[in-house]
Amino acid sequence: MPREHLLKIGVSGVRGVVGEFLTPSLTLSFAQAFGTYVGGGRVVVGRDTRTSGPMLQHAVHCGLLAAGCDVVDVGVLPTPTMQIYVEHIRARGGIGLTASHNPPEYNALKLFNAEGQFFNHYERNELLDLYHQRDFAQAQNAAIGHVRRDDGTAKSIHIGRVLAKVDADRIKRRKFKVALDAVNGAGSVMTPEFLTDSLGCRLDAISIDPTKVFPRIAEPRPDTLGDLTALVQKSGADVGFAQDPDADRLAIADETGRVVDNDDVLALAVLRALAVVPGDVVVNLTTSSAIDDIAKTFHRRVYRTPVGEANVVDTMRAVRAAIGGEGSAGGVIFPAVQLCRDSYIAMAFLLDLMAETGQTVSQLVASLPAYTRNSGKVPFTHGRLGGLMQALEEGFPEAEADRSDGLKLIWPDRWLHVRASNTEPLLRLAVEARDGERASALYDTAWKLLTSL
Amino acid sequence: MRGDSGLRISPVGLRGIVGRGLTATHFLDFAAAFGTFIERGRPVVVGRDPRSSGRMAREGVVSALMACGHEVIDLGVVSTPVVQHALQRLDAAGGIAISASHNAAEWNALRFLGANGTYLSTAESNELLDIYHLRKFRFVEWDSIGTLREDATAIERYIDDLEQVFDFAALRGMRVVVDCCNGTSAPTLRRIVDRFGLDLVLINERVEGDAFAHEPTTSARMVELQLGPLIQPLQARAGFLFDIDSDRVAMADDLGRGVSEEMMLPLLADHLMTHTPGRIAITNLSSSALLEEVAAKHGGRVVRVPVGRQAAMDALAAYRPEQIAVAGEGTGAVMMPQFRFIYDGIASMLAVMTMMRERGQTVREILASYPRFEILKGEIPLESPRVPALLMDLQDDYPDARIDRSDGLRVSWPDRWFHVRVSQTEPILRVICEQRGEAPSALFESLMDKVRSYS
Repeated sequence: MPREHLLKIGVSGVRGVVGEFLTPSLTLSFAQAFGTYVGGGRVVVGRDTRTSGPMLQHAVHCGLLAAGCDVVDVGVLPTPTMQIYVEHIRARGGIGLTASHNPPEYNALKLFNAEGQFFNHYERNELLDLYHQRDFAQAQNAAIGHVRRDDGTAKSIHIGRVLAKVDADRIKRRKFKVALDAVNGAGSVMTPEFLTDSLGCRLDAISIDPTKVFPRIAEPRPDTLGDLTALVQKSGADVGFAQDPDADRLAIADETGRVVDNDDVLALAVLRALAVVPGDVVVNLTTSSAIDDIAKTFHRRVYRTPVGEANVVDTMRAVRAAIGGEGSAGGVIFPAVQLCRDSYIAMAFLLDLMAETGQTVSQLVASLPAYTRNSGKVPFTHGRLGGLMQALEEGFPEAEADRSDGLKLIWPDRWLHVRASNTEPLLRLAVEARDGERASALYDTAWKLLTSL
Repeated sequence: MRGDSGLRISPVGLRGIVGRGLTATHFLDFAAAFGTFIERGRPVVVGRDPRSSGRMAREGVVSALMACGHEVIDLGVVSTPVVQHALQRLDAAGGIAISASHNAAEWNALRFLGANGTYLSTAESNELLDIYHLRKFRFVEWDSIGTLREDATAIERYIDDLEQVFDFAALRGMRVVVDCCNGTSAPTLRRIVDRFGLDLVLINERVEGDAFAHEPTTSARMVELQLGPLIQPLQARAGFLFDIDSDRVAMADDLGRGVSEEMMLPLLADHLMTHTPGRIAITNLSSSALLEEVAAKHGGRVVRVPVGRQAAMDALAAYRPEQIAVAGEGTGAVMMPQFRFIYDGIASMLAVMTMMRERGQTVREILASYPRFEILKGEIPLESPRVPALLMDLQDDYPDARIDRSDGLRVSWPDRWFHVRVSQTEPILRVICEQRGEAPSALFESLMDKVRSYS
């Protein structure tokens, strides 16, 4: 495995392989930098179900107490739930210990501001500088705060906000049969009661034991959700839901067990959200053009951002968007609940659409604007990226070029996006077109160009 | 030169003023060094005194130990002796007591304990320090990380251990006043009162973290100041004052007068050697020569070693436990073999009470039966480079005496002695001088003059 995989300290926080790389010492220092940055007061700390979570949480507590903060320990909790709670109790900020969809040997610190949102680009840089400068606040004895546990309230606050944006009675009347795979993650402590008690679903669940390790690859993708497909087929469920370890992302299986494309999951959420609240849509450059078509029917604009949740969130905040997300990553961001990826509003929106239209999941997906998408990865050598991008742009002089994140080339009926991965020496190539053959042709041409250089 | 932060990283452990030199990272990294040092497979026990900074230190210590793959058992706010007792009961590989003991509230420290509950030996401490400085900690992978559990029964089990040694029923009705100084002695003593009906009058009993009722110094002056006015009105037989983690105790007599901390060791040696004659008493070069007289009375003898806990631990390891009657310092810190050779103020108090009951005498009456020694102590700031020349010079001044150079310079005659040494904690030279009968004023003044001439 390349070395850059193992530890990354950057503007999005700290992430790495626990043990030799992501150590408790480093975690403590980052937490103390965070406590210094927010200037004392209450900080919410929670985690997903990784085995390293409790150990790292103690290090985070230590750093926060040393900086003069009080800690509110919410234990195992979905990331969006934690973010909502930070804002609800008017804390100075929050730290979530979760490496999201990364494998179990990883962990990371997600940092939230007083609104329970990601810090903006400038704040993230300031925090990183503070971490490197190591000029931390150092509380003396009488200024050391307390660690307080709160197990109860956060979940009901989150669920309450979600229910306010859907017709829960309509959903309950349908008594949907739902299959769930929570990957033994943070969703395990909340999703079953959300689906059964709040939405009246009949539940058939697997992997909802938060004390156990992840039984599958943590990222919910078609090739990792074989168990969910089997569960849907066995139990005859109307729909299958799969979460990642911190329950911010959602994957959906239709009533046949087929895993729905993440772009279509987002498109259905946008469809529902624009019917409920006013505002525009923000998605990343790699998200399907189906979003543009849907927004057009509501007379709404679509803003495109570089890939990355933080980039989408920054723009959503700036334009007061109604909804946003990243098709490729399976994240639905609905600010009326909270400005963060939230699998719960995504589940509720889909069930609400099903209840309203009486359609099955496969029928709903089929009703979306039809596009064909192709994507793949190309290894590249550092230092050659500029030349590759230049060659691509010159190879398609008739296309409109967007250079804000790698290179996106846009035609009226199709587009191509190439960008370097943040974590690996790989180029990610994505192509979309209305016509399947044109998509394949464009993908093959671009692939040849990239690999021939 | 050591600054005002008081930060000190040494074989004895880690200590300093929290937030002013002593940081969260120090706590976590030092605990990680300990987690790397001790064997895996058996639990590690953690306890802390009530200082507020202990909440912070505890989080870092727990995290580091878990990261090294250890099961951590947290005893919560308990005295250092309680942690030491729990180690054997829980079959632990080692323990960490988070406590600055008799220092002011702003201080904190880590004390490292081996599997048997005693402090680490010099060799072990040096190895631990090397690991800390190298910072190559043995953090385990994600699927081997340790767990944490809490044990709230430690105080009760510790009292069970006390009950094996002391006849509590016999101590009922002996009223003593105790100043807990808002420390960890309070919950233990309250439980002893409830369980055995002892007549202990407790003051400053509320356990506090931000500040204490007074400096937690276990000196004769402090105990007289705090308990002097209470003892006679309450018709108490004695008064005791504990530091924050109750490893030390100071004592006042039935008239409310502070008893010199120097007297605790000879007193307990007398008591213990009465039951086990012919054994050894281990102490340092600076404590009262009364100990030699007491030991001789019971056919025992005294082994003197350099000042500091480390030297005492190494000396203890050089003898079989059944050869030793007692070990301790002139500060009032005493270890007893029945109690696994740990400094334990509560055990010392119970031993003194037992001695009073057995002899039917007060501490004042017992001390009056001992030969009189007068001790004089002084300290003078001195630049370290000049110390060796001064000590050579002093040694040459007294060709007729017995010389011990194992820790500074100790010069002794049959009826008097003096000890000049560099403090381990401050840039000062300590001068201690004792004589049977009259105070050795002339000798003391000439020593102080000599030291001053070098400063």
